[in-house]
Amino acid sequence: MAYPSFPVIGVSDGDLGSAAARSGLALRVDELRRIAERLGRDPSRVEVRAFDAQWSEHCSYKSSRHLLGRLPTDGPNVMQGPGEDAGILHVGEWNGERYGVVIAHESHNHPSQVVPFEGAATGVGGIVRDVLCMGAEVIAVADALRLGRTERADSHQRYVARSVVNGIAAYGNAIGVPNLAGDVYFDERFDENCLVNVVALGLVKERDVIHSCAPPNAEGWEIVLVGKATDASGFGGAAFSSVRLDEGDEEANRGAVQVPDPFLKNVIMRASYRVFEYLRERKLAAGFKDLGAGGIMGCSAELCGSGGFGAVVDLDRVSAAIQGMRPEVLAVGETQERLCWVLPPEVTPAVLRIYNEEFSLPEIARGAGAVAIGTVTREKRYVLLHGGESVMDVPIELLVGTIRDDLPVPVVPEPAAVDPQRRWIAGERAVGDIFERVLSHRDVCSREALYREYDGVVRGTTVIPRGYADAGAIAPIPGSPLGVALSVDGNPRYGRLDARRAAELAVIESVRNVAAVGARPLGLTDCLNFGDPRNPEHYAELVAAIDGLAVAARELGMAYVSGNVSLYNESKSGNAVPASPIVACAGALGDVAKIVTLAFKRPGSALYFIGEAQNAIGGSVLAEVLGVRGAPLPNIAYARVRGELESLARAIDAGLVLAAHDISDGGLATAIAEMAFAAVTQLGRTVGARLDDPSAWTGGAAGNLEALFGEAGGFVVEVADAAAFDRACAGTPFVSAIGTTIAQPAIAIGAERFDLAPLHEAWRRPLAEVYP
Amino acid sequence: MSAKVAVLVFPGTNSEMETVRICRDVGLDARAVQWSYAESLPSYDAYVLPGGFAYEDRIRAGAIPAHDPMMDAVIEGAQRGKLVLGICNGAQILLEAGLVPGTGPVRKPTAAFTRNAPVPRFVCTHVHVKLAIEPSRCAITAALEREALIPAWAAHGEGRLAANDEHLAEIAAGGHLAFVYAHADGTVDARAVPNGSALGCAGLTNKAGNVLAIMPHPERDAWEFNHPDLRSGANVLAPSGGAMLFASFAEALKDT
Repeated sequence: MAYPSFPVIGVSDGDLGSAAARSGLALRVDELRRIAERLGRDPSRVEVRAFDAQWSEHCSYKSSRHLLGRLPTDGPNVMQGPGEDAGILHVGEWNGERYGVVIAHESHNHPSQVVPFEGAATGVGGIVRDVLCMGAEVIAVADALRLGRTERADSHQRYVARSVVNGIAAYGNAIGVPNLAGDVYFDERFDENCLVNVVALGLVKERDVIHSCAPPNAEGWEIVLVGKATDASGFGGAAFSSVRLDEGDEEANRGAVQVPDPFLKNVIMRASYRVFEYLRERKLAAGFKDLGAGGIMGCSAELCGSGGFGAVVDLDRVSAAIQGMRPEVLAVGETQERLCWVLPPEVTPAVLRIYNEEFSLPEIARGAGAVAIGTVTREKRYVLLHGGESVMDVPIELLVGTIRDDLPVPVVPEPAAVDPQRRWIAGERAVGDIFERVLSHRDVCSREALYREYDGVVRGTTVIPRGYADAGAIAPIPGSPLGVALSVDGNPRYGRLDARRAAELAVIESVRNVAAVGARPLGLTDCLNFGDPRNPEHYAELVAAIDGLAVAARELGMAYVSGNVSLYNESKSGNAVPASPIVACAGALGDVAKIVTLAFKRPGSALYFIGEAQNAIGGSVLAEVLGVRGAPLPNIAYARVRGELESLARAIDAGLVLAAHDISDGGLATAIAEMAFAAVTQLGRTVGARLDDPSAWTGGAAGNLEALFGEAGGFVVEVADAAAFDRACAGTPFVSAIGTTIAQPAIAIGAERFDLAPLHEAWRRPLAEVYP
Repeated sequence: MSAKVAVLVFPGTNSEMETVRICRDVGLDARAVQWSYAESLPSYDAYVLPGGFAYEDRIRAGAIPAHDPMMDAVIEGAQRGKLVLGICNGAQILLEAGLVPGTGPVRKPTAAFTRNAPVPRFVCTHVHVKLAIEPSRCAITAALEREALIPAWAAHGEGRLAANDEHLAEIAAGGHLAFVYAHADGTVDARAVPNGSALGCAGLTNKAGNVLAIMPHPERDAWEFNHPDLRSGANVLAPSGGAMLFASFAEALKDT
């Protein structure tokens, strides 16, 4: 090979390690030796960059793949499980067609910490491409944000918090995809590493799915690159996200962040929809994949390799934004807004015409367009040409095949049973002492100031916008009452205490949120955000969380159809994020007419609590507000969780439920308050609540404050016909009548009474200061 | 034969799908016409400019698309009396093209929908707009009731009407102020205005009353299923709420 090599053979471990570090490689010395050994020579500079990307944690899941096998991935709703750019869940039939909802979930944590606007925006851009390339129309996005302390106006954390939201808004709004769901938490352990998780949904008919691999007869087909001109941005991005953030390298890290272009993406999406139509009319097969980590090389190699083929790609045919770019930058740089097709040669001209002429990509952005850059080959090698010469020539399975870093798997003990009787609050406290403090807590207060910057209603399909219920919902099929619901969850206060329980609770919470709007939970995605896996403590947390995800999903009959692992979420000072398993749940609504929102609808309704109060208040906002330490997370009894879900579904299906709200951060009293606030702001109605003293409905199982503010979970429901509801829930021990709605703007609990207005203001104000 | 309506798609437009859909649901023969097919525009009876970020909102929202060749057909049609409805970004384009309020020459705007105030931030929030002219003053609103209250979603970063005092006075005196922001009960005050818009303006019409520019999106609250509270036994797929503006638009095109 004429192209300069990266010397490995005969170089000492010490020299090789420093050469790798100087070049900014994430590959370890043993990995470099493995590559040279398999190639039988020193790798070229292009090859070493290619392996650096493909063998990064980000692409290879090398230290998590063997663990992820523990997750359930199959079930009656699964149309497409993990392994492609996105998974697909069967959402229902309409006009004789089976429809799938495509779902993908990723993190863009490192880029968002370094360059928050661009990092968060390109996170949305990437996840949208993952859904698009399954042949789907993109119908919704959601985001889970974990941010540092924003109290100080001049802090970097506030800058990150604002810019991340600006970036998500700028991108999602411009491409015209509604932001349907999400959550946000603030914690000092995100000060140096924010988490930005993004989820996207798509809609596709089962027979129209396009796979992210070359079809079986693809030998000799063309590889067509679509999108933005390739530039030097995002060079080393995959490797960058697979190392710890080092503040000293901030400048170098910035170069690894990609530059978003939602304007161009808007047009590429619409042009791609037109290409889908063209291929469907002619019943043509094709492969389609998003360019993410590893750039042109990573995408084309995975497309062809997963189909059992090799590839030859000519870098000279790539539209380059800058003259004289080095082949390694062209090959693995992560310029945004690009996708790759594998097409029969006779189809290529029509597809190029759609992108380049009908949608005039070259006039939309300089150098943008669609161009054939290579060929699918029978020989299973991955070959890159540059200047007429081979600069990379490796066995394709070495590049994209499974690699594993078999770290010893610690045995994670089963969580200890929690003593349900033990109280952690000393003495008795009045509700009035803490109600406003809970409502104004950073994890409880209104999120509206944040999400009102996101367009939640573009496309005109929105049934439940953010803030109206526990899950967002859309009616994505024109002319059909079928609906899709979505929620994203994961609580870092729980993650700090117990990674496994936190994972279980994230699954339960996401399923509950979807159920609370009357949807049938279909399936899950997960994103595992953790510290350095080579730190045994963080690795044990990761293993425990995966176990928790697996247990909860099996118990609730759910499968994971896609997901992402984001490790190394720590800075050089060793400050790692709390264990953050984040879960999204998609649900189906047979008829959006049956949806339930959280706002109280009218005075005089009966209020019920579906769930079980516990004294275990570990990880709760209540524990933080009272300064209680040492308490465990609540016990999880899956039979009860399933029973709660079934009771609620039955009652909603029978049309008995006026409003429903999942109980999470801030507990039952917070849920009640939010239902009253929503009545005012969303319906213009004054509806308060009168609750019996908790001792009347807990039967003494938990203290009053624990019952009102504890986070053992469940639902609050507003019911018009109490007798019918009682009949529907007869024999279920965890359904309790707790009070009624009233016509006064107040919440009365036992003998205490609170005016709604000051509570509402305490809840509304805190984030309005961060997001004016 | 129902009237042929072109829903214009510029590079960066993002609301063509729902706009076409509501036009069709009220009986119009609407289709999206993309920039590469600009030459077909003169054959349409009416034009709708939907929301989005045409040409990326470069310079000012609406400034570049106002000079796009697609607008030649729209301007010519408007001058010959064809109906033109612009929503959100489409409204911004109509102002930049000088078609509304239409008090100056074409493509020499006398007013603009510009950066929200006091905080220059994109805002997505549910609003109501109230008809502030006699319905018959504008052909597109002629079938609405007096002071009709229409639910819609404001979703924009540049929706504040701005003009100098002289032009604002012209807008007020000339009956150009078609819609103002209002509360759900129809009352009008500054708290109902989500963006600091002068005169509480949510929509403007031209002198001839054949062109209407409206900032909030009635097409995003235009079917029963869009209202989280309005579906007690109703057909969730039926047009409602914001659809009334499109129904009035269709009524005006009935004899076309």
